[in-house]
This record gives sequence, structure tokens and C-alpha cells, in this order.
Amino acid sequence: MKKLLTVLGLAAFSLGYSQGGTLILNNYSHYDFVGYIIANNLAGGCYPWITSANPEMVRVPADSHMGNGQELRYDNYRDQHDNSSYPMASWLITLSNTTNITRPWDHSSLMPGGIYSNNTRWATTKFVMYYPGTTTLAPDNFNGAVTIATNSCYTAPDHFTTSTGSNSAEIFTISSGGTNYTYIQLF
Amino acid sequence: MKKYFLSAVLAILTLSSCNNEGSAVNTVESMKTPQMENFDKAFKSLGDPQNRPTEEERKRNTSELSDRRKALLVPASKELILSSGVTEAELMRKTGGDMSQIIVWATQIYMQKSDEIKKNIKSDK
Repeated sequence: MKKLLTVLGLAAFSLGYSQGGTLILNNYSHYDFVGYIIANNLAGGCYPWITSANPEMVRVPADSHMGNGQELRYDNYRDQHDNSSYPMASWLITLSNTTNITRPWDHSSLMPGGIYSNNTRWATTKFVMYYPGTTTLAPDNFNGAVTIATNSCYTAPDHFTTSTGSNSAEIFTISSGGTNYTYIQLF
Repeated sequence: MKKYFLSAVLAILTLSSCNNEGSAVNTVESMKTPQMENFDKAFKSLGDPQNRPTEEERKRNTSELSDRRKALLVPASKELILSSGVTEAELMRKTGGDMSQIIVWATQIYMQKSDEIKKNIKSDK
């Protein structure tokens, strides 16, 4: 009985912690966000390394955020497909610098509590900003990448402001008791 | 003649009821509680120039939002938790005033409410 409880407890813990919890991307800016969503192992080595694959880059239109219910929200690699307004149909899984596999969202290896889920966390976005509905770049070099602080696997800041100060991008976490929210915010 | 007249009246009534439907369309924004709106505003305020991370905050060796910036989210988070029927005493007992716990709890309530609103809108259509 005690053993069972321990196993259940561990399972619950790893579910809560999988992928560092939920990813929320709020685009408060006047430009469309088009970017890769990337997760990686932060506990030693950088693999597995998981990248959005279909679409490779997600478009989150200008002014899409929690305030109007248009934010991008990914609970985990699998459930995002049915629950998110920006479903990701497949993920590219990199296991070493020579091994890549693409898996559909419902592949068993991507389920919550699975090997990829438990060994990676939301970490990075590499993106460009466009004028709404176009592929014309936003002014003032409003593009680049942000990665969570302490991620030694990707070289990027966790916050930047454009030179005029009009726009900024950042990524941070808010965590408590094993529940973790990762926020990407574009202003 | 009377029959035609009646059916014309019926047609007008039917059409005008369709018209009403258009004006009663619900959006996520219109269905949010004031507490949810304030929670949204608090997150958006993190981008205001004075609320952006300082040089010192950016040198910290953690991805966790700084305490100064968490404090910007706490009042709206508390309001949202209290609006869900939790008492002030219960809030303090459960969180001990810990900012991270308060924000995470509020976020969970927010997401649940937001999902319910989205579901309602879908089922209305």
C-alpha cells in the first residue's frame, strides 16, 4: 500500500513538473509574432531538444493575449493539440547532434509523464515580428530570441528592448510547490 | 388577405429576432469578471517601462520573475482568489502570504474560468 502511494505520489509530482508546466505566450504588441517554440533538457546535457515542427513557426497575431482569450497556451506537448488555439501537429525531437525524429502530437513518447515531457522544459523562442497579416518586418529590429535565464544550451538574453524602447520581449517563470508557469511576453 | 398580413408580421418578427442575435454575441472580453480583467492588466503592466527588469534583476541566476515584479501581480491575484469564494483568512492560511503561491493559485483559477467562458461561447454558436 505504502509503495503504491509512493508511486502515485511520484507520478503526480512528475506530472506537475513535466515540461516545467504550462507555457503561456501573450502578444500585447501591434505586430504578429511568428516564431519557433523550443524546449530542452536543463538538467544536464541539452538533449532531448524539442522544437515546434508543424507548423515550424507559430503565428500569434498582434494583440493576442489572455485579456482577449487569444493567448498561445500549451499545457504539454500532447494536450495543446486539442486545447490550444494554436495547435501544434508535430514536434521535432533532437536526441544528439546527429539524431532527429519528428513525432505527431499524439505519439506515446510525447505524453505527459513520458520521457520527453519529464526531461525537458519550455525554454526558448526564436522569432520575427511582422506587420499584421503580412511578412513585412516590424520596425526597429523587433525580432530575435529569448531563452530562460540559466539555460546554458542556448545563447540569448531572457529580455530585450528595441533601441527606441517601444517594444520588448521576455521569458520568465513563476513557480510554487511544483507548479510552474513559463511566460513569454511581447510588448 | 388577413392570412397574408399575419404571415408578413410573423416574417418581420422572425427577422428582427435574428437581428437581436447579432447584437448579443458574446466575446471572451465581455464575459470576464472585473477581477479577471484586473489580472490581465497586471500581466500587461509588466511591459510598462518602469516595470521592465532592471540591470540588477537581469544579472540574477534564475528564470523566476523578480520579487519586485511579482509584487505587481499580487493585488490582482488576491482579488481574483477572493472573488472565487475563498476568504481572506483562508488565503493567508494556505499561502502564508507567499507571492509565488498566490500568483500560481490565481493563475489556476483564471485559466479555469477562461476555459469555461470559451466553452460557453462555443456552445452558444
